[in-house]
Amino acid sequence: MRAWLSTLGVVAQIAFRNLFASRLKTFIVGGIIFFGALLVVAGNSLLDSLDSSMSRSVIGSVAGHIQVYNAKSKDPLEVMGRMMMGDPDLAQLDEFSRVRETLLKVPNVKSVVPMGISGALVTSGNTIDLALEKLRKAVNDRRKAKDDGESARLDRKIADEKGHVRQIVLVLQGDLKNAKTMLDARAIDKDDVEAVTRAASEAFWTDFDKDPFAALEFLENRIANQAADADLLFLNYVGTDPQAFAKSFDRMKIVEGTMIPPGKRGFLFAKHVYEEQLKLKAARRLDQIKEGIEARGETIAKNLELQRLVRENTSQVREILLQLDATKTADFRAKLQRELGSKEADVAKLLATFFQTDDQNLRARHEFFYRELAPSLEMYRVRVGDVLTIKAFTRSGYVQSVNVPVYGTFQFQGLEKSTLAGALNLMDLVSFRELYGFLSGEKLAEIKQLQAAAGARDVKRENAEAELFGTKPAGGAGDEPRRIEATATPGVGPAMRDLGESVGGKLQRDEARSRVFPAGEVETGVVLNAAVILHDPKKIDATIKAIETQSANDGIPLKAISWQKAAGIIGQFIMLARLVLYIAILIIFMIALVIINNALVMATLERVREIGTLRAIGAQRRFILAMLVIESLVVGLIFGGLGAGIGALVVTLVGKVGIPATSDIWFFFFSGPRLHPFIGTTNVIAAFIIVMLVSAFSSFYPAWLAMRVTPRQAMQEDE
Amino acid sequence: MKAIVSVKDAVKNYTLGNVVVPALRGVTLDVTEGDFIAIAGPSGSGKTTLLNLIGCVDTPTSGTVEVEGKDTRRLSERQLTTLRLHTIGFIFQSFNLVSVLSVFQNVELPLLLQRKLSAADRAQRVTALLERVGLRDHASHRPSELSGGQRQRVAIARALVTRPGIVLADEPTANLDSVTGQHILDLMKELNRTERTTFIFSTHDQRVMGYANAIIRLADGKLLEPGASPQPAAQPGRVPA
Repeated sequence: MRAWLSTLGVVAQIAFRNLFASRLKTFIVGGIIFFGALLVVAGNSLLDSLDSSMSRSVIGSVAGHIQVYNAKSKDPLEVMGRMMMGDPDLAQLDEFSRVRETLLKVPNVKSVVPMGISGALVTSGNTIDLALEKLRKAVNDRRKAKDDGESARLDRKIADEKGHVRQIVLVLQGDLKNAKTMLDARAIDKDDVEAVTRAASEAFWTDFDKDPFAALEFLENRIANQAADADLLFLNYVGTDPQAFAKSFDRMKIVEGTMIPPGKRGFLFAKHVYEEQLKLKAARRLDQIKEGIEARGETIAKNLELQRLVRENTSQVREILLQLDATKTADFRAKLQRELGSKEADVAKLLATFFQTDDQNLRARHEFFYRELAPSLEMYRVRVGDVLTIKAFTRSGYVQSVNVPVYGTFQFQGLEKSTLAGALNLMDLVSFRELYGFLSGEKLAEIKQLQAAAGARDVKRENAEAELFGTKPAGGAGDEPRRIEATATPGVGPAMRDLGESVGGKLQRDEARSRVFPAGEVETGVVLNAAVILHDPKKIDATIKAIETQSANDGIPLKAISWQKAAGIIGQFIMLARLVLYIAILIIFMIALVIINNALVMATLERVREIGTLRAIGAQRRFILAMLVIESLVVGLIFGGLGAGIGALVVTLVGKVGIPATSDIWFFFFSGPRLHPFIGTTNVIAAFIIVMLVSAFSSFYPAWLAMRVTPRQAMQEDE
Repeated sequence: MKAIVSVKDAVKNYTLGNVVVPALRGVTLDVTEGDFIAIAGPSGSGKTTLLNLIGCVDTPTSGTVEVEGKDTRRLSERQLTTLRLHTIGFIFQSFNLVSVLSVFQNVELPLLLQRKLSAADRAQRVTALLERVGLRDHASHRPSELSGGQRQRVAIARALVTRPGIVLADEPTANLDSVTGQHILDLMKELNRTERTTFIFSTHDQRVMGYANAIIRLADGKLLEPGASPQPAAQPGRVPA
């Protein structure tokens, strides 16, 4: 045994010394192995960390561990990463309570959240419409005024509102003047110019009181259309049971307002969407500039993106101007003159100067804006408490619209900055169903009544054709499938938002808010998909199988997919990145294999005499084999170990500091502002095994060559 | 006297492509213990082939080679290796030391392969041998730090360290100057005398042959009659029957 050890010792010694003797070769081979091992450890650790953080993001924000949907759907379900694309063609799941019952039979299922995801266009409010509406209301109220005190108050109000409209007209006049310098004269409508000139004239406003309604009509028809500043917003939303959603996705937090109460219709804006799309643009841009400077350490002087934001802020003050009536204009003028130390009287110019921010004054300007100016401005196009009219195309192409009160905004903890996690707004399931073209129980009852009155009867979907064209038409045109597309909600006019104090607006808001759908509506109705939260998230694959077996037994055609699949392209990101990494590793080790193999073959050929000598003096073939294999294993061990060790060290160090999320997409992938990579022992072991295998494999051929060296070759002289 | 090596009618053919090249054409000889034999002959006469057969590096195509009573044709490759390890010492024309090992380690190498002695015993024997060949002070040197003669002395020490019955030397002085060559031969001769080690060496140097107590002359793969002068070269174009 001891002798055997000492033989091994001499083999190792020869191996070591050989490695040292041919240092260059050793370092080249070792360098490749070092880099390979480093890549395996660091790359895999990074991807594992990314995988786990991203899974937290996806699972925690909307997907859950597993998503289920109707197996008969034409398209696969995608709950994330959809922007303007159309909805996937999903078949409905008729009765959610049955779906849940089936899912809860699977032991690992903890909870089930009903869902439906879609998107719709929403028009945001138009400032001049609001101003004219207020003016009209003031004029109306003035007519009905009971006493002098009220009349005087309303006169002042009318004067104020007139001032605001005149202000808007002035802005329009300015716009037209600018247009003249930039556009061809033919591109400007003469009638428009005429209308604006008239509305801006002193005479128009002196005459206003003579026939205010005619003047208002003129303004509404000829001026308002020129002052459109409304945006078309595309909102993605998930229709769900808000309570179940909040309970299962516990990172969800209400930021402003309140949760949608149980059994009520309602809408919650994702905080990110609310800020990004609904906030006053100038304010949003100021926020973004501040964030760029403070969070990312950029400077306006150097960063082109920040420069663009400053430029837009100075050139797009119109949005603010349109909101200012005479009083506010005067107020803004005084404040801005004081702040800027300027004598300029034009508020537009003052605002432009104010927004000309640089790295020195930004913080002060930002602070000033929010302290002095913001309180007088509508900061969001939709406020918490407003009623939102959402118009969506149903699956069969009807336009359906639903009024839902906005209860507040929400975000997911740790994902505040992520566009992806913050892209989906929340809506009650009943409103969602209506928008998607399904009937709510409420409506169904209404239609039943109508059908009864018209003498119509139900015909099953599959029999419809036979009933209609087959034996005998049963009830004439009244033969409709049981589920039909809903038409527009009757009795509720499309209105973008709470119209201030207007009676109609208040009525509409109260109506929308007081509507309660019947208990069980959520439970019994249709859903498109459902998120499944598990007790043990590690058993996703097994649970998917269990769900599909269970649903087959229960006769519900459920398709279950993991969160990766449900997240669409985003879920595949890690897989893709891993694939790239594996290919890179494979290539590196293939190259390593070839290079090491070559180097060893060369070394073997150089050492034929030495090997022959060893064989002659009594070394068995296995001694030669051991010598060469040990040589490459030693290289593998030392350099591979060094690579894996340094890789682990780098990952640990980076893990301590964290990789900052530089953009919102990384916020999502990192599930927070920083990714803290961690070392997986499996990665280190994998690196070790790969390196050892590569080292061993690469020495096989040269070792085989070496074993064929005969002792006779030691005798051969180069004669 | 007992024959330590017995070669009977040994024929060795090599195949080069489709051509059979005869290297030995039936050689018969006995070597007795304690001999100091020179195998002489011009290049291509079969000296190295005969040494290879005796050294168990190769086996004859026909005929027998017995080393210490063992018929090498009946031994497996592995057994031949073992036989070499324990019975035969090799000295090469180009010394063939392991360049990455020290003088001491080179000499110790066969003992390590034998796995018979403890480290202390090995050290003692190696040191004694190095003393014997006058390289005790060079034990930790690398072969590259030594002269040709010194290297060959290391090789001799390595060949003798297992106390083999036979030491084979293939042109041991060919790469050395004449003075150094003489010293090497003196050393070999002395070891032959004191240790009773059998030496068989090949040479084509007339002066070297003078050291031998028997000369085997080879020409064209055959033994020449004792006393006959060696043929200058094989006759070209002769193909064996």
